[in-house]
Amino acid sequence: MEINEEIQNGINIFKLNGRLDSNTSQGFEKQVFQAISDGSKSMIIDFKDLDYISSAGLRVILKATKAIKREDGKIMLCSMQDYVKEVFEIAGFDSFLPIVATMDDALNAF
Amino acid sequence: MAKKEYSFELKSSLSELDTLCQNLEKYGKKIGLSKKFVFEINLALDELFTNIISYGYEDNSEHIIKITLTPNIDELCLCIEDDGVAFDPSEFESADIACSVENCRIGGLGIHIIKKLMDEICYQRCGSKNVLTLKKKLATKKS
Repeated sequence: MEINEEIQNGINIFKLNGRLDSNTSQGFEKQVFQAISDGSKSMIIDFKDLDYISSAGLRVILKATKAIKREDGKIMLCSMQDYVKEVFEIAGFDSFLPIVATMDDALNAF
Repeated sequence: MAKKEYSFELKSSLSELDTLCQNLEKYGKKIGLSKKFVFEINLALDELFTNIISYGYEDNSEHIIKITLTPNIDELCLCIEDDGVAFDPSEFESADIACSVENCRIGGLGIHIIKKLMDEICYQRCGSKNVLTLKKKLATKKS
């Protein structure tokens, strides 16, 4: 999996490309938590090019959301493909995670 | 659909998830499974495989996990065999879902996902092996 990280208007944007599973989730977790410990309180995770997610990926997203909330920050998840969104729904995570349709929706939430 | 069994073996390393994906995509194309169907069987087998690697072995040596796919008239049968410690996922209680960020329990999430995606789960302990058989209907959509 590739992760492209950029900062726009003080928001850390992570663009995921490929597959987020138990083999790749640790690398992503490290990168997200590095940003949090560097003081990031605003984060967007862009799922546009993510083809696959397993429960190991969901775990990292949940952990990151908890950590950002503890810092009184905000995280938005955007542009999920149908199959990926379905995994969030099966897990029941769509009921409490901030998932929006597009990057613009995510940026406008800040 | 003609009955054509397909088997492959994975080593006990998480990097083998890529091999799992490649095998399933190749097989899906060959017998004409939808992309959604392939995604869902990939996810179920990934969760089981990850569980086996994470909790199944008490030593550090390499083990083999065997996967067999058998298409029947209206369903696909997935069989996963490992020589890890005895574990029956079908008896495992699923996680409570749909809660808040603060008190979300994460244990058992993988097994919850497997149960949602598959129509039937059957566990057998055969000698020193776990043999888990999953069935998923081909025609009707399970949501």
